[in-house]
Amino acid sequence: MALAKGAGYTILVTIASVCAGLAIGLLMAVLSRLQWKPLSLFLAAYLYVFRSIPVLVLLFIVFFGLPSMGIRIPPFTAMVLTLGLISGAYLAEIFRGAMSAVDRDEILAAEAMGMSRMQSFLYIILPQMFRMSIPGMINEFTSILKYTPFAYTVGIPEIMKEAMSLAALTLRGVEIYLAVGIIYFAIYKLFVMLFMVFEKKFRVPGLAHE
Amino acid sequence: MALLEVKNLVKKFDDKDVLKGINVELSEGQSKVVMGGSGCGKSTMLRCLNLLIQPTSGEIIFKGEDITRPGVDVRKLRQDIGFVFQHFALYRHLTVQDNVTLGLRKLKKMSANDATEKALYELERVDMVEHRHKYPAQLSGGQKQRVAIVRALAMDPAVLFLDEPTSALDPQMTREVVTVINKLFLDNITMLCVTHDPFLAKYISDSIVFLDKGVVVAEDIAERLFYDHPDPRVRHFFLSVIDHR
Amino acid sequence: MDAFINDLIAYSPQIMAGLKNTVLLMVIMSVTGLIGGVAVFYLTLSRANAVRTWVERYISFFIGTPLLVHLFLMYYGLPQLGVHLSAFTVCIIGFTLNVSAYNARYLMTAYHGLDKTELEAAQAQGFTPPEIFRLIILPQVIRLSVPSLTNQVIQNLKDTSVAFLIQYPDFFAQVQEIASTNFQFFKAYMTAGLVYLVLVSIIVLAARRLEKRLILPGFQT
Ligand SMILES: Nc1ncnc2c1ncn2[C@@H]1O[C@H](COP(=O)(O)OP(=O)(O)O)[C@@H](O)[C@H]1O
Ligand SMILES: [Mg+2]
Repeated sequence: MALAKGAGYTILVTIASVCAGLAIGLLMAVLSRLQWKPLSLFLAAYLYVFRSIPVLVLLFIVFFGLPSMGIRIPPFTAMVLTLGLISGAYLAEIFRGAMSAVDRDEILAAEAMGMSRMQSFLYIILPQMFRMSIPGMINEFTSILKYTPFAYTVGIPEIMKEAMSLAALTLRGVEIYLAVGIIYFAIYKLFVMLFMVFEKKFRVPGLAHE
Repeated sequence: MALLEVKNLVKKFDDKDVLKGINVELSEGQSKVVMGGSGCGKSTMLRCLNLLIQPTSGEIIFKGEDITRPGVDVRKLRQDIGFVFQHFALYRHLTVQDNVTLGLRKLKKMSANDATEKALYELERVDMVEHRHKYPAQLSGGQKQRVAIVRALAMDPAVLFLDEPTSALDPQMTREVVTVINKLFLDNITMLCVTHDPFLAKYISDSIVFLDKGVVVAEDIAERLFYDHPDPRVRHFFLSVIDHR
Repeated sequence: MDAFINDLIAYSPQIMAGLKNTVLLMVIMSVTGLIGGVAVFYLTLSRANAVRTWVERYISFFIGTPLLVHLFLMYYGLPQLGVHLSAFTVCIIGFTLNVSAYNARYLMTAYHGLDKTELEAAQAQGFTPPEIFRLIILPQVIRLSVPSLTNQVIQNLKDTSVAFLIQYPDFFAQVQEIASTNFQFFKAYMTAGLVYLVLVSIIVLAARRLEKRLILPGFQT
């Protein structure tokens, strides 16, 4: 069925956007540790802007706006860029919070042991940060999934677009949109379950992540 | 020649003089305890000695080399000085065993097998082998501190620094940890240990350095320092801590 | 740029009307969402297992599915059953159901962090469960959730931009209009982004003041 094919696109957009968001968020969080004044100003501005702008508005700027500046971006890239930039801002905040929750004594102990800053970051801060960020990451992933229907506005044939043409064709909107809701919920549950399996595998007693 | 020789060590934070010219010597196989009132600069001194804090002036001669000079390999130096913290500072995301092997693998570049073997050997010495797969959160305070001591010792440091290793423990656990450190003392491990606890001090030291307001005011064996010391600052301190127990 | 500004001025009555609609939607759903959230939260404390299960399902479903699907279902689906709702009504219903689910989650999280001995004390004093909810639980839980709840208000504002997809003449819809007449897409959407930035800033400032006023000694959120 067309919806199933659409679901494939939805999942694709979601995964690509999550990856983009994680990469951007991690980069921002790491850069924020450098505590270089111009950089932290830039980061603050980035966080503020991309947490304030609605997804749809940014998507329209990227997809419909940039071409009038001579920059043409394909629909899929535009969608992933939009969601990546926005969720990157939220994830940066989550990662930053998790990093500041790492016990300072442990970092000091790593230094006292003879580790470089890079080593203590890689072996102590990063592993703890990721574990503490899991609930935040699940939230962000959920947000991304829920914004993917916007992809239809730029012509990506994901669930919503398929559903709309199907509804126009069959005039059975109620059933079709209900089915769409259920498909989304299934995808959501599936991903949360995957996250949980992942989380369980890396769970460490005493590293709270509520 | 002494393993560690501290000459006229001064540390100022902004304009606050915390250490005002400390002189201490530590030979190989010797164990010294540093005592003194809260805030007199004990932790600051210990941290200056492995350059966790940059000293303001003075000389720190470690293995014949002044480590306050520029160009010293700070990371190599720290690998040669074990450090045990008051609040254990075990890595929460690593098991007991991995806490011990991390430094061996990443800093000493040992193979995983060699590191594990070494870790198990060292954990055996403090009776923690059976707990090797547990995480720090699953251990008692005494167990945590024993692991922290092993983590430091496994690197085969030339000297072991301990900053109030029993202050965060209840009496039962304190005894546990004192026993372990006493064993190290009897094995002639070179140690420099900061503590408030006269009981610990007595059982693990060749001599005790007494610090007051950033200067060494006395250095002697426990028996002579604890009771009726001629210096009123020393006498006053031990009257309060020993009577208190 | 001048031409674009001229267009903005020429269309300003329309833009202001759109802005009014956007703010109206945001305010209404923030209020209904808060009331709904408290109601749903109350139900999660129910002693009946079935109630708790269904409430949990409701929350989970609305958190796990896109708002747009609910809006489309009501706006494009329901007429097939003879139910014709205006875009405004659909928005209010859809947003309220969504926002209530989120707000209930925040309140539940705060509730889990609460000192339960206080509740036992209240029980021992002879308060009834609804009284305990109203007098002890709610005031604390709401205070603890202020940051999350105000964040949700910001989220609400941003989400109103979805409304134009079901033909509601909100601010973003008006911007679309202008852009499609003068083809200055980039400038138009950037302006829209800027306006949202300003509105968010206003909410943030208001939220800060509210948080300061609500703060109690020993109650760090
Ligand atoms: N990083 C710092 N900046 C400023 N003052 C400090 C710093 N670290 C320690 N101090 C001050 O130095 C003094 C000695 O501290 P410390 O060495 O921790 O004492 P203690 O003997 O209890 O271990 C204290 O008065 C403390 O406030
Ligand atoms: Mg101290």
